[in-house]
Amino acid sequence: MSGYWLLIPEYLLLAGALVSLFGDLLPGGERSSAILGALAAFAAAAFAGFIGTAEPLFGGMLVFDPVSVFARVSLAALTSVYLLWSGGRGTGSERSHEATALVLLSAVGGMLMCGARDMVALFIAIELSTMPAYVLMGYRRDDDRGLEGTLKYFLLSMTTSLIMLYGFSFLFGITGVTGYAEMDLTGAGVLGVLATVFVFVGLLAKLSAAPFHYWAPDAYAGAPTSSVAFVSTVPKIAGTVAMIRLVEALSPGATQLPLLLSIVAVASMVLGNLAAYPQLDLRRLMAYSGIAHIGYVILAMATNTNTGLAAAVFYMVAYALPSMAVVMIAAEEGSAVEQLSGLVDRRPWTAWALVVFLLSLVGIPPMAGFFGKLYLFTAAFGAGYRALVVLAVLMSVVSAGYYLRIMREAFFGERVSTPAVERSIPATIALVLLVVATLGMGIAASPLLGYLGVSF
Amino acid sequence: MLSIIVFLPLIGVVLIAMLSKERESAARLIATAVAAVDLILASLLAVNFDVTGGMQFIEKFDWVSGVGIQYYLGVDGISLPMVFLSALLTLVAVVASWKIEVKPKAYFAMILLLEVGMNGVFMALDFVLFYVFWELVLVPMYFLIGTWGGPRREYAAMKFFLYTLFGSVFMLVGIIALYLQAGTFDIVALTDAGLSPTFQWWVFGAFFLGFAVKVPVFPLHTWLPDAHVEAPTAASVLLAGVLLKMGTYGFIRISLPILPDAAAQWSPFLAALAAISIVYGAAVAFAQTDMKKLVAYSSVSHMGFVMLGIAAGTAEGITGAVAVMFSHGVVTGMLFLLVGMVYERTHTRVIEDVRGLSSQVPVAAGLMAFASIASLGLPGLSGFVGEFLSLVGAWRSDMWPGWVIIAAVGVLLAAAYMLWLVQRVVLGSPSHAVAEIEDLEPREIAVLLPLVALTLGVGIYWDLLLRYVDPAVRGLTALMGA
Repeated sequence: MSGYWLLIPEYLLLAGALVSLFGDLLPGGERSSAILGALAAFAAAAFAGFIGTAEPLFGGMLVFDPVSVFARVSLAALTSVYLLWSGGRGTGSERSHEATALVLLSAVGGMLMCGARDMVALFIAIELSTMPAYVLMGYRRDDDRGLEGTLKYFLLSMTTSLIMLYGFSFLFGITGVTGYAEMDLTGAGVLGVLATVFVFVGLLAKLSAAPFHYWAPDAYAGAPTSSVAFVSTVPKIAGTVAMIRLVEALSPGATQLPLLLSIVAVASMVLGNLAAYPQLDLRRLMAYSGIAHIGYVILAMATNTNTGLAAAVFYMVAYALPSMAVVMIAAEEGSAVEQLSGLVDRRPWTAWALVVFLLSLVGIPPMAGFFGKLYLFTAAFGAGYRALVVLAVLMSVVSAGYYLRIMREAFFGERVSTPAVERSIPATIALVLLVVATLGMGIAASPLLGYLGVSF
Repeated sequence: MLSIIVFLPLIGVVLIAMLSKERESAARLIATAVAAVDLILASLLAVNFDVTGGMQFIEKFDWVSGVGIQYYLGVDGISLPMVFLSALLTLVAVVASWKIEVKPKAYFAMILLLEVGMNGVFMALDFVLFYVFWELVLVPMYFLIGTWGGPRREYAAMKFFLYTLFGSVFMLVGIIALYLQAGTFDIVALTDAGLSPTFQWWVFGAFFLGFAVKVPVFPLHTWLPDAHVEAPTAASVLLAGVLLKMGTYGFIRISLPILPDAAAQWSPFLAALAAISIVYGAAVAFAQTDMKKLVAYSSVSHMGFVMLGIAAGTAEGITGAVAVMFSHGVVTGMLFLLVGMVYERTHTRVIEDVRGLSSQVPVAAGLMAFASIASLGLPGLSGFVGEFLSLVGAWRSDMWPGWVIIAAVGVLLAAAYMLWLVQRVVLGSPSHAVAEIEDLEPREIAVLLPLVALTLGVGIYWDLLLRYVDPAVRGLTALMGA
């Protein structure tokens, strides 16, 4: 096998994780491993981009097509930004080295998920990606609520993993293969439907799509906000890619799939947006908003066109950027919405950056979120999901309501609260990078879309 | 040239953002300079414009090539007056806000950002670009109302944002539908896409929601009084003067030429809404005790004339519509400025409390009387041109004449409530609040003078405006096959 060098990004992340575990031996104290990890992740992103598309590895287990490359680069880059930010915070716990290692391990799993085109490879990658997430979410051992949320997350996630695995076993039984390339469900009948449902229920739960979303708000609200910034965004990019691959592979035989996905899309958009409204805690609010955004992404998946699937991945990244940033700001200013009060006087630049992020989430141009929605809705509309697109745009108006509430608090709020954390230079750089990416991904999307093959 | 006009204010925003806290008073200087240069450029545009030349100063290149999104700017005789209006009113708004003390940096940055969006909307000839500028306008206006507005500013800002967003997402669906059908976002190319009438009908509906909220047309107008009453003076000027025009401009630039069959089908409905808006706005204006609210409702009424001309679909009607858009921008700008100036002195906008301005502050009173009379459409002033043409155009179109008659009644109502306002506010003996106040200072007069000059100029010499508008509208109606 000569293609091992294609996995250099993964090796880099893995090396970073292993070194971080022994971070106490590094010079530079608490921050060292996070900064090191950020560098490793950055190098991984650069290598993933440099390697580009390539021949599949391990007989088609891992593919390196444009979508996969785009997702790998975004995932590693976001991990890098996240570690830069968390290294800059320099707070948290006595175990910040471990946290870095866990983040990097989760990123390795995510990177593999992006390329996986084989059930076995996918399952291992998913577990590698989620296991560290459990620990990150329950990082505060002394917090009962956090532990409850984590337990919920863990149990549900394990259960859905098993359901998915069960579905995989059906698929293997029906088709006799584990690779997607030769998988053909045509004529499998009820068994094929069951297998499809099992597999997707598992994936949908991981992506926190309604009606399998219950764990998300509780888990996020109980977890350290800084962990939520990572767990609620980066793994979802990988999950989206994994899911579009399965949609592609299973669609020929599973005629009910578009219907299933449409139902999930509608449920997620409506429930996520409406439930986000009354939330007073930013983590819960972002959990519900994440459910809503996944709804849009699944709407694009239901099209099962190349453009629709590429638009789904594009949208996911366009969502992850500002979403991560908002949770980061929440980690610094306090996770209750009202703790943002007076932000514009306290930290005007952060407040204006927050505007960019929130408006991107609403879908206001020229931010990335708008272009993500534009391509996604166009793909869905073109595939005939007209009523769902109308519903989706209406729901984005609804979402403006609660995002504006955050903005209102930050800009017009009368209460004055003090920030939770001092701002450091690396954290500032991280936020600036996210602002630039949120603006740039939309305005300069032309090469990116060409690369992904989005065309109508 | 056009790109410079659009993005010059953005440079101003960056410059203002980089000012240190100690030198934040320099923000107004930067804003004034940038807005003035922009106005000069817009005037140069008007001077160098070839009135028979159709779309001009075109800038066109691929933006997102794979999807066919272009960066495509251009102006014709319909958009040029709007660009000029937006540049002029921005400068007016900046100078009028000279004395702002709360967060001046953010304030002037927001006004300049607003100008980027406004200029862009009137120049964009690609749907995505158009939508980008269209939505860009929301953000600064949201902050202008929300931060520097009156007591209920947060509510008003939120309502403004959500209402307009609600309309514009339907426009987005319309844009997507058009794109999938015709394969392009090019607004000019779409005019001969040969779309089926049924398809047009639906898309027209989607665009209608987007534009009608912005205009606003009854019954989608309810955000407007709230936004106007709470907004600071400069924001009111720009809101009424330019932002409302974006809606009617959208009808003229997009709905009529791209969807002509649907425009004909929807015409009776538009005519009805226009007539209702005219009379409803006027009637509600009558009942107002707050001067600003009165002007706000009069805007609903005046924008009804624009919609009437658009519903008519005839050359006179559309020319009249554009003329009302321009004139209303200038005249209502004046009215809001004067109301704001009086408010700064008396700290009240209640008509009962502000009486007898003429004996205490003759200059302000005179200008107030002038603006009010211009607003009611007296011949010889700019308001008359457009309302006259749009009524004539409507009368000569296929619409039910009843709507035209109702609209004409609206003219009478406008005369009545405006003259009544003049009688109460300008004439009579000074009330308590007015007794001590000072007259306008030179800066304030300088702000108003260009608007007065335009009102007179366009009113006496129609050709000043119509030489641009008329050929462009004839080209448009030729496209519509009317």
